[in-house]
Amino acid sequence: MERNTLWSLRLGFSGKQAELIKKEGIADFLKDSFSDKVDKQLPGFLKDSPKTLAEIQAYKQGYKDITDGRKKENAQFLTTSYNLRGWWVDKMRENKYPLREKLVVFWHNHYVSAISKYRVPYWAYTHNMVLRENAFGNIKDLTKKILRTNAMVYYLDNNKNRNGRFNENLSRELLELFTLGVGNYTEQDIKNGARGLAGLFTADNGAAYNPKMENTDPFTYFGKTGNFKSDEMVDIIFSQKKAPYFITRKLLKWFIYDNPPEALVTYYGDYLREMDYEMQPFLTKLFTEEFSKDTAGSKIKDPLVYMLQLLDELTITNQNSKLIAAFVSNQGMDLFNQPNVKGWDGGNSWLTAQLYLKRNTTADNLCKGRNVAKINLTNLGDPGTDYNAEFDVKPEWKKAGDNKAVIAQLRDRLLCSADEQLQKDFENILKHDFDAGSKSADMAVLALVNYMVKTPEFQLI
Amino acid sequence: MPDFLYSFALQENLTAGDSCLVFIQLNGGNDGLNTFIPFQDDLYYHYRPNIAISKNDVISAGQGMAFHPMLKGLAEIQQKGHLTVLQNVGYPEPNRSHFRSAEIWQTASNATQYLSEGWLGRFLDVQCKDHEPTAGINLDTIDSLALKGKEPNALTIKDPSKMISKGSAAGVKLSGNPQLDFVRKIANSATEGSDLISKAIQKSPAAPASYPKSGLSRNLEWIAKLIKGGLNSKTYYTSLNGFDSHENQLSMQKNRFTDLSDAIYAFYNDMVAAKKLDEVTLVIFSEFGRRVKDNGSGTDHGTAAPMFIIGGGNKGKIIGKNPNLANLDNGDLIHETDFRSVYAALLKDKFSFDPKQIGISNTALQGIFK
Repeated sequence: MERNTLWSLRLGFSGKQAELIKKEGIADFLKDSFSDKVDKQLPGFLKDSPKTLAEIQAYKQGYKDITDGRKKENAQFLTTSYNLRGWWVDKMRENKYPLREKLVVFWHNHYVSAISKYRVPYWAYTHNMVLRENAFGNIKDLTKKILRTNAMVYYLDNNKNRNGRFNENLSRELLELFTLGVGNYTEQDIKNGARGLAGLFTADNGAAYNPKMENTDPFTYFGKTGNFKSDEMVDIIFSQKKAPYFITRKLLKWFIYDNPPEALVTYYGDYLREMDYEMQPFLTKLFTEEFSKDTAGSKIKDPLVYMLQLLDELTITNQNSKLIAAFVSNQGMDLFNQPNVKGWDGGNSWLTAQLYLKRNTTADNLCKGRNVAKINLTNLGDPGTDYNAEFDVKPEWKKAGDNKAVIAQLRDRLLCSADEQLQKDFENILKHDFDAGSKSADMAVLALVNYMVKTPEFQLI
Repeated sequence: MPDFLYSFALQENLTAGDSCLVFIQLNGGNDGLNTFIPFQDDLYYHYRPNIAISKNDVISAGQGMAFHPMLKGLAEIQQKGHLTVLQNVGYPEPNRSHFRSAEIWQTASNATQYLSEGWLGRFLDVQCKDHEPTAGINLDTIDSLALKGKEPNALTIKDPSKMISKGSAAGVKLSGNPQLDFVRKIANSATEGSDLISKAIQKSPAAPASYPKSGLSRNLEWIAKLIKGGLNSKTYYTSLNGFDSHENQLSMQKNRFTDLSDAIYAFYNDMVAAKKLDEVTLVIFSEFGRRVKDNGSGTDHGTAAPMFIIGGGNKGKIIGKNPNLANLDNGDLIHETDFRSVYAALLKDKFSFDPKQIGISNTALQGIFK
């Protein structure tokens, strides 16, 4: 696969940034991605959404007092949740430098907190914004701030963690899933960590310690003794020698390799620790060094990349982002709502016989310019004003050269590799007498693209 | 067949009477003590002031143990003599991480051993002569590690009605890229397996009564259809989420157990009506139990727990001693039976298969089957 296209897909969601990477070079592309500004404007659909504990209580009570209250509350929740998903997918499609959003999806799947448990869309927004604002910052800061989001505290039952009656869930996942990973801490660290997190409850402006409920006795955490709170605990965790590898392995899996070699995990992990967990120098080293390697086909595309790339290739710009969110949800990637705290497994788990069939059926429909039925959108609580039943499909290609040249153009942009058999198939679709200037050329190329996007080779980057 | 090229063979229509194993994995670590309850043990009430089930509510008592009131279906099956309870099942050096412990159960490894293939996957690798894409069927949205083998002898399907038949088997060429090979095999399974599954669904007689409307019920209904339709898979696998009861355990178990019990009872009746109960062994388990002492409204991760076996010509007994609440390991139950000895019993009794072939050296647990 053409290198700049490969990295446009890995550092973003489609081939859109290929030209930009080619023009700027990978190092400057990264610099520009880091300095790309964050939009801090509260989206309009959250203006009236409850934010403080009192507002949330009043909101719930409001639905209790009316007929069919439960049903109406569920409907409102569905509408707002999908407004949130659509808002996020819009960012992925529209940002000139999508690397930040790519990293937000990674962190979102690392610091998992599922909206169906805490059911406050504003908390999902604030959690998401913490990830966005700190995506290119320091991992320690990010961890500290995430522990102070209402979404996280609620999701991992820390509202039940109080002095004298500790609940270990957040303490356990902090070590097992968010930082060190299994084998690098003891059950005692989890038990003691629960003390340090006791009394950290949901509050009006993010989670805060309740002085009546927090622990007051010193405890031992990784060999250090004191009456630690969450910030100090994070510092202690990251001062452990083994701290960088768990996260490094996940970052390598997210961006480049379904099966990262352990030597690379150690190599980049050591550097991450050396850089005191600053993301920018780490990502710069990782991407500039990996950019020069021949690694196409080392990773299965997640549903987001699959769909956004497909839409871009077919020049479909007017699909409603909520329908994209619904598609990826069906493919096992429900934004804001992972099935459990480990998050989406990724890698091979993106594809089963069922899911693969679904991808191919969708590809067929999109190539025919057919959208899903409108009811799919209205079922998400959207009035359906921004819906198109049909698309005007135009795959991009340079009208020059013979059939082999056009095939090479598309193949290098779409497929991680192509063997003899595939090449034969391609030349059966664009035959030796293909004329790029003829009226039927566009249709023939569309048929070729349709075939290519259903091959296994299209599923890999 | 040359090394670099293999084809998926169409499965022969095997004679009736072939055994199959059906697994229901309860995800999250189901609390065994509140499932099969030591209601005559004072320590149970002592340790669980907040979540113990009252003596007056438990059902189907025997040997000092009884079922949670919402497990009416299991209780009925036990009354009919078709349910075996295996008590205190676990393994040495128990792991309390969901994912690691589930991995241990699914790969039948030691607590410190890391295997990349599932025990059923390895079994099918040996048992299937040619590649049989429907020898193992996983009714779920994601693959189960338990069925993962070197060859693709198992399919994961979310909704069998949506599998579209698209022509006959094609050879799959192996490239130098393992990820590409994986996707190619999936791509092939997507077409190959669906022929056989469609056929089985069409042939399958109706169930005696309609199944309840839950995810697990739907999955078991499909499994029943495929069994009755003669697909002849050796193993079926499915799961039920929601057992990680750190808080609100009472309401959670009430809710989950209703789904679990109703789904299993419908499946059981379906198998009885189809006269297939003796060929079908249903196994229910979870990756670990929970701590004995409650935390106020729930329990934290624990260790040993019961396993349940329905059908397959089992003797309907309670195997193993009642949980010993006086002798705990730092607050956790101590296992009595290694889960791998249960696996060994299943493989030996149902398939005359020597479990050592797949690295299980435990002696098969005696007394489960007639």
